[in-house]
Parts: sequence; C-alpha cells; structure tokens
Amino acid sequence: MKLHAEDLEDLALGSVFLATGGGGDPYVPLLLTREVLKRTGPVELLQPSDIPDDAFLAAIGNVGAPTVSLELLPSDDEALIALEAFEKQMGRTLDAVISFEIGGGNSLIPIMAAASRGIPVVDGDGMGRALPEAQMMTYAIRNIPSTPALACDYAKNVTLFTTKGTDVYERHIRALAMSSGGMITTVEHGMFGKTLRDALIPGTVSFALKLGTFLRENRGQAPALLAPLQALFADSIYGECHLLHTGKVVDKSTRIVGGFDVGNTVIEAFDQAGAPVEIDIKNEYLMARRGDQILASVPDLIIIVDYETSEPINAERLRYGQRVAVFAVGCPAFYRTEAALDVVSPRNFGFDVDYVPLEALPN
Amino acid sequence: MRIGIDVGGTHTDAVIMDGNHVVTSTKVLTSADVMEGVANALDTVLSNSGLPTDQIQSVMIGTTQFTNAIVERRQLAKTGVFRLCLPSGRGLPPMVDWPDDIADAVGRHAYTLHGGYLYDGWPVADLDMDEIDRAIADAKSKGLKNFAVSSAFSPMNAAPEELVAKRLRAAIPDAHITCSQSFGRLGLMERENAAILNATLLQFADSVVSAFLSALRLRHLTCPVFISQNDGTLMNADFVRAFPALTFASGPTNSLRGAMLLTGLDDAIVVDIGGTTSDIGVLQAGFPRESNSVIKVGGVRTNFRMPDIQAIGLGGGSLVTNDGNTLGPQSVGHKLTSEGLVFGGSTLTATDIIVASGREEIGDPGAVAHLSETLVETARQKMLTILDRGIDMMKPGAVQMPVILVGGGAVLVTGDLKAAARVHRPEHAGVANAIGAAIAQVGGESEKIVSYQAIAREDAIAELTKEAEARAKDSGAQDDSLRVVDIEETEVPYMGQETMRVRVKVIGDLAFKPAGTSA
Repeated sequence: MKLHAEDLEDLALGSVFLATGGGGDPYVPLLLTREVLKRTGPVELLQPSDIPDDAFLAAIGNVGAPTVSLELLPSDDEALIALEAFEKQMGRTLDAVISFEIGGGNSLIPIMAAASRGIPVVDGDGMGRALPEAQMMTYAIRNIPSTPALACDYAKNVTLFTTKGTDVYERHIRALAMSSGGMITTVEHGMFGKTLRDALIPGTVSFALKLGTFLRENRGQAPALLAPLQALFADSIYGECHLLHTGKVVDKSTRIVGGFDVGNTVIEAFDQAGAPVEIDIKNEYLMARRGDQILASVPDLIIIVDYETSEPINAERLRYGQRVAVFAVGCPAFYRTEAALDVVSPRNFGFDVDYVPLEALPN
Repeated sequence: MRIGIDVGGTHTDAVIMDGNHVVTSTKVLTSADVMEGVANALDTVLSNSGLPTDQIQSVMIGTTQFTNAIVERRQLAKTGVFRLCLPSGRGLPPMVDWPDDIADAVGRHAYTLHGGYLYDGWPVADLDMDEIDRAIADAKSKGLKNFAVSSAFSPMNAAPEELVAKRLRAAIPDAHITCSQSFGRLGLMERENAAILNATLLQFADSVVSAFLSALRLRHLTCPVFISQNDGTLMNADFVRAFPALTFASGPTNSLRGAMLLTGLDDAIVVDIGGTTSDIGVLQAGFPRESNSVIKVGGVRTNFRMPDIQAIGLGGGSLVTNDGNTLGPQSVGHKLTSEGLVFGGSTLTATDIIVASGREEIGDPGAVAHLSETLVETARQKMLTILDRGIDMMKPGAVQMPVILVGGGAVLVTGDLKAAARVHRPEHAGVANAIGAAIAQVGGESEKIVSYQAIAREDAIAELTKEAEARAKDSGAQDDSLRVVDIEETEVPYMGQETMRVRVKVIGDLAFKPAGTSA
C-alpha cells in the first residue's frame, strides 16, 4: 500500500479523532507533507508483518511548543538531516521510519521524512493515540533505549543525546527545543524489526486514513454514525466503540500547568435529564465521569465530536455552547498490560483510581 | 454632527447623527459604480436634514469594497513577497496554501531570504545584503511595484522588514510596500498573507479613497474623513491608503456597534437577520468579541482581528418544508419579493410562516390563509429553536443575556427567545451599520511574548500600553481620552514558567476639529 498526497487530509482528520483532544493542530505538518509528497511521489506504507527481523528502524517526530513555532516554520530539511545524522552515528542505514504517535501532527512527520529519504514508513505507531510524555510510548515501555538520539533544529544544528533513561531524555530534549526556537525534530529509539514487531501498535496509519475517509464521507449527526464506527473499530486493533453521551458544553476551563493544558469540561444532556458528564483534560481527554461513576478513562480513548458533523474537536478548540457527542474507544491490548499500565493508568495522571476497561464500566 | 455611511454589497446606507441621536437616515441600492450610490445616499441625508455642510464635523465610512475585491479577485496588483526566515521554513514558501486563482491574480513572485528572529530574540540568521539586493534586482526586472515584506517574529523585532523595505524603496522609488509587522499578531504565514492581501490592494485603495474624498469635496464637506476598520475603531483616510485590508470585517463590526448605540447595551448578543442567514455576534464592553480562530478571506488564511460571527442558515427567504419541520439553509435570497407566497410567488418561505401566523402583515396575507395551523406553528417554533441554539453557542457563559435584533429579517422573531434575557428591537435597526460607522472610536494595540522572570509584569504591560497608545494617536486619537480596554495574557506552553504572550488594546475618542475648519 502506498500513501499519496491526496490521502493526507483524510489521514490528518482520522489522526485528530485518535488524538483524543490532544496532538495539536495538524495544519502545518499536513501542508508540508503534502508539498513533499507532490515532489517525491507516494510513500510506501510497510506492513509490520513484512518487516524483516534484521531491518533497522527508528522513530521520528517533532518535539516542542506549537505556539512558538507559529513563527518558526518547519521544513522537510530538519527531518532529513536528523535521519542522516542518526544513520551516521549508528553506522548503518535505516530501512524504514516509524511514528511516535498517530494522534495529531506527529502522524504526518514520519511520512514526510520517509518521502524525503526515499524509504518506507511503518504502518503503526508508538501510542495508538496521543499521550503527553515520551516514557508512555510503547517503545519505552518495551525498554528499547531512546538514545542514541539525534535532533535537528531550524538552522540544521544537530545534537546527539546519549542519556541514562527515557525520563532524562525527555527533560533534555525539552530543554533543547526551548533553546532552538521552540521546536526540534528528533530521531530516536533505533531498533531492529524483530524488536519493533513486539513494541508497536500495528496498523494505525492505514486505520487513521480509513477512519478519516469514513468521517469525511459520512459527515452527519454523531448517533447515526455509532453503528458504522463500531464496525470500523471492531475490525481494528482497538475493538470497542461506545457513545457515552450527547449534549451541550456548559463549562470548560483549562490552564497551563507545568507545560500542560490542564482542566475539565462539563457536558449537559440536551434535555438536561440526568447528571451531566464531566471530562478531565491534561492535553488529552483523560477521564469521563457522570457524578461519581467513571464512564471511561485513560488509556482508553475519549473523543469529543461536533454533534452535527461528527468532526473531532481538539481540547483547545472546545468551548461553551458547543453541541457535542462523546465517544469512547477501547485502547489497543498493549496498553492494558501490566507494564503499560505502570506508566499510563489513571494514577499516572493524578487520579486516585485504577484503570477499568471501557467495556467493564456501566456506560 | 457626523455622517455615517455604510457601503454594502446590496445597499448603501447613510445617517446623520447628532451625538447619539439619529437626525436622518436613508438606504439606497449600491450601484455598479459604487460612488454613485454613495453620492445618492449623501445627497438624500443632506437635503432631508437641511443642514449646512459646515455643521458636519466628520464623515465616517464603512465599506466592503476591499473585501469584495479580494473575494472576486478584482483590482489586485501583482505583488512581490520578500520573506526573511531562512534557514527555517524552506518547505513552506509564501502563498503555498492559497487557492490557485488568487495566487495567479497576485502573481507568484516570492523571495525567501535569510533573517528573522526566534521568540527569545536570537537571530534565525544574519541578513545577507547581497542576497537581498539580488532579489530586489530580480523583482525590479519583472516590473513589480507592490511588495509585502515579512520576517520571523517581526512583531517583536521588525528591523529586518524595515531594512528590506528601505532598500526596496531606494531601488524602486514608486514601490508600494506593506510590512507584515503592521498586522501585529504572531503566526508568520497568516501575518504574511495579511500583508500580501494588503499590498495587492494599494493602488485600488488609493483610487477608492480619492473617489470618496472628491465626492465629499463636491458637496463642500471639508471635515475630516475616517474609514472604519475590523475592530470597530477608525482610521483616517490616508491610513486606509496604506492599510485597506484593515477594513475586511468592518461590516459586521459596524452592525454590532450600531446595535449597541441604539439600545445603550454594552454587553449583549446581536442577531442580524438577513434574507439567507442570521449573523450572530457578541458585544463585550461595547465592542465585538473577536474570533480566536483563523479567519479566511477569499480562501486565504489570515490573522486579522475580526469579530466572532456565527452565521446560521435562517433568514426571511429560508425555504420551509411542507411539514414545517425543516427551515433553511436553502433560501430564495433576494428573490423573496417575487418568489415568496405573500409576494405572489410559489415558494413557502420563513416570511410566509410569520405572515400566516398573523404576527406580521407583509404582502398579501390571503396567499397564506390556506396553510394549516399545525404547519405554521411547527415552523415558527422551529425558527425560534434554530435561533436559540445559535445564540446559545455564542454566549460567553451559562448566564442569560439580552438579545438585540437588527436587519430586515428581524420580523421572523415573534415572542421570546429562550436563550435571551430580553429581546430588543430598536428603531433605525435597518441602518445599524451606518450608525456603527458614525460612532466609531480610535484604537491601537500591541503584542509581545515576554518572560515575567526577565521583566516585571507591570513593567511589561506599561511598555505595551505605551506602544498601543502611540499607535492609537497615529490613527487620530485624542491623547487624554485614551484608555486600556483589554489586556490579554496567554501562557506559552512548554517554554518554561511565566513566558506569556501579552496583548494590550487601547481606545480613545477622535481628536475632533471644531466644525467649520478644514481638514
């Protein structure tokens, strides 16, 4: 399967759905990736089962603050230079690249990089959604070292990281992003095909494309989309898809704490019957509750869409008065393992509860 | 006394105002030659009022001509774009996401050069004078006269843009230049687009302003002339010659401001109901609430300060289904007066429903006597529901707010709106736009990213206020009337504690010259 320039808009739409409110606006990455693909032609989407055991791969994406990079326009140069520096450091060429996260703009950066470098991109990612920190990536959970990692900034300055652990690496790349105008491109988690296959959320790139195409072609009221969406998710790595609630946003407040957008939103049923649904936000939608009853929680996906069009709404765009529907989607099985829940359970986000899978909750 | 004129796509309105009192008003059709309509409107209000022209202290004009030129791709000059941002941004050259027809109309003459700054003041790259001069020589050889100049973080450091503008002017003395820093806000692509749209209109702006001035001079109106801009404040005529793009959203803004004057309400929802849509806006402290999202003009993303307007598909000409359950968004539009049932046509419209309900008498009520009571009541409730939802989406919070109805379709609203604390239907609502233009004030704003660890918050705000005040005075504000109306602080994520994007907006009264003195 090949990804064409014309596929990218649908892919971006699907990636916003899977971003569960986070991931940033994919507009600039979409524009850039489309320009590159117009020049290079389509990119091969490598199926995980087709990756040879000895293939050499690495994850690539952008790290930084979208607000600041409004002035510092990205280019495909950064990705290409980071890839070449990584190959030089490791003493071998990359056979394919892979995404950090399918949710939001970072779903597109690896495609752009693969196109520039003339190599395939893997159909899969390291989150299956969007999550705020590097140690929450499947690659980190599988103990694949994040470094040596190479970062390239706007001026083609290249920085090598060799750190003791992913948490230190996360701190260091944030610091570099700040001193490089707010945004850098990094290549990290060098690994072989054999290792990757076990540390990957497979099929998410093609799924995001399929989902985006579905949403575009079936633009309409959210409840009517439930059955076909359930069929779509049942046939994917995710599985469950529930419609938790429909109603109107009657409150939304977030503020920036420690570099994250933290707060909550309250959604009242249209007929005002029953208690409203409250959703906690930390960059992403993390937990949906009705009164004391949890309806869904991280790492399962919570998605807020426009009631009339079913278009996903990012947390920064959510505001009072919007008529919305709330969906929940079961996370991939990987994130329900003990090793994963050690870093992505509700407790890791400051909630005093354990994770209960979506389908085991009354919703 | 002031004259307010609003040049819209369909109608040109004019009013004479004595303070906050409407002396006389008129509404004429906008002619193909826009100035003819303006002249008609002016002559009508002047003769109706019987006032000698030396009693008029100023004339305020709101016009959609520049928006329409962009939307219709008319009157656009070929424009060279100089952007200083290399080595960043090579992958996204100027106009990369523009619709083809407008990119072609403006020409695709882009020069991407080294320079610009990061958020913290560090240079992206040093300027390369040879590179700049080569680009200017190329533009000159192509015969370009219009230029837009942009550079990374120019709202914080505009030196690179100013340098390029100076060299352009030296090489091409009759150049028309717009620097992106004039459009303040952060977001290089959107700010640059604003500068290009502005630059491409400069000759047209010059001819429009000259035509306005000569129409006024012909009537011996020698008082100062102002044109209203997007945020409900005014600019003087010479300023418009340099910044025509700042008028892009003056229509809806003037409508909101006019509604404020007519009701005396500073905080309200304003619903302007036309033939096809209802435009819902919000007055906050007497000014339109501005939109947070990216505004597209003629398909081009820009960073203009524009009012937050929600357009919903309900107007006097909206089509109604036979069961009354669906209204709009399809509409007979301006053909209402020939196609609506009460006007002898054969299409069931929202206006017919209101006439059938006995709440308004328009056209021939006999033509809708056959409509069933159930249909009429279902459709009428549906209209209120649609408006209620639209209003609810625009309210800043769960509190009820007063709603002001303006525009020809205001008759559609009969009875109360659930979302409204109270519904106001002011007199003269039909010329709210011209009234809004007539009462406009003068504003200025300034924006920067600052670290409150490097500079104390009060000092940062004081500095920005000074800059905003200087801009307001440049636009014609009276020094002692200036006041800060908005301080917006947005924390910049990931950039460490207390890094803020701060924006200060000030407004003030016009520095009036006494009646009878010349401008």
